[in-house]
Amino acid sequence: MLSRRLRVPAGIIVLLWLSGCASTPQSRALFEQFDKPSSSPVIALASSVLLDRVPFFPQEAYQCGPAALATVLQASRVSVTPDALVGQVYVPARQGSLQIEMLAAARAHGRIAHVLPADLPGVLKQLQAGEPVLVMQNLGLSWYPQWHYAVLVGYDLARREVVLRSGLVREYRMPMTVFERTWQRAGHWAVVLLPPGQLPEDERENAYVQSLADFSRQADAAQMFAAYEVGLQRWPESRVLGMALANLHYAEGNRQAARMQYERVLRHAPDFAAAHNNLAQTLLELGELALAHEHALTAVRLGGSFAASYERTLDAVNAALMP
Amino acid sequence: MKINALARRTIGSVLIVALSLMGLQAPAMADIVSTEQLVAEQRADVQRATVNAFLARDEVRAQLEARGVSADDALQRVDSLSNAELAELSQQIDTLPAGEGAIGLVIGILVIFMLLDIAGVTDIFPAI
Repeated sequence: MLSRRLRVPAGIIVLLWLSGCASTPQSRALFEQFDKPSSSPVIALASSVLLDRVPFFPQEAYQCGPAALATVLQASRVSVTPDALVGQVYVPARQGSLQIEMLAAARAHGRIAHVLPADLPGVLKQLQAGEPVLVMQNLGLSWYPQWHYAVLVGYDLARREVVLRSGLVREYRMPMTVFERTWQRAGHWAVVLLPPGQLPEDERENAYVQSLADFSRQADAAQMFAAYEVGLQRWPESRVLGMALANLHYAEGNRQAARMQYERVLRHAPDFAAAHNNLAQTLLELGELALAHEHALTAVRLGGSFAASYERTLDAVNAALMP
Repeated sequence: MKINALARRTIGSVLIVALSLMGLQAPAMADIVSTEQLVAEQRADVQRATVNAFLARDEVRAQLEARGVSADDALQRVDSLSNAELAELSQQIDTLPAGEGAIGLVIGILVIFMLLDIAGVTDIFPAI
């Protein structure tokens, strides 16, 4: 969004210092851990990372959004140029790009857009795993914001700095504390783009599930199979991922595979009413009426948010059982 | 006459087959609990946990009580928040800078939800 302004970052940095020693707790914790390495660090991080392979697109006026998005997309082996993205993410009236459109455009190019938690060590860990991270910064002040998109491509704990593809600078080195402050003022927004089948450096199963839910609207079945299966490798007991995989088999018309997957979910979560219900429906379609009846009854007995569906399934099974 | 009857019979049987196919498929899809439904439920659960954890913090309880709202009442009422309200509150909590005095904003929103409910503008807390 701003390009010219990047030429005067020194002034901004002075302003940041003046605006008080606003806390940078995450950087401080990282420095402390780096200066006094303990035998059991909170997070295992290499002292420095630089992803030199990440391409660079010097941005034109105000168009840091398309440039930054093209950077991470190309790093993720999607061939797209900033110019091709301008129509998708650039809002001329605002001279910038909205975060929600950045995520939607990434999904439209076949990548899962995963928003990372407000956790600097976690973001650095994602770099260490080899993926650049799209970030938003507020280079101005909270009451005079200067929004800016950039791409984190490295860090150096000894030099206490991060490395960004930013504006007109290919390797923009910034003190980590300054980055933390500008990032914090933009709501700690950090995004990694993943091809289906690759997991983020983020331990939150529910966050991965939410990212997939948004992705699934534009994805095909093969992409979703890959995304669910890799998720189940990390979280084998995830009820939602297990059900999502089974529902996908069902939607693809593969009743046997759906049945086996619903049964797998029930081995981890025997009191999961929705799994009993969906299994009952699948068994009904497979003609296994006695077993279908058993699971439909269990779903009705357990009840819950979708109790009305369970009643209808039981009715359907009963109707099929009648001579 | 003959052709007309044949045409009518053909159209009739096509319609019967089509309708019966629709009839077979519609209820089968309707009673599967969809992934979207499960994802939405999980999202609401996570948000409710966020709001509950927030309300359990000592400084939050103190601030609420300074505004004349019992923290225990507030905790009870989180269960009756709509999904949209839960999303709003938990998002405010998630973006709070750690250890700063911005919790007032979240408490303000919570108190507004309660006042709107008492005034009958909304029906957020049916229990009141």
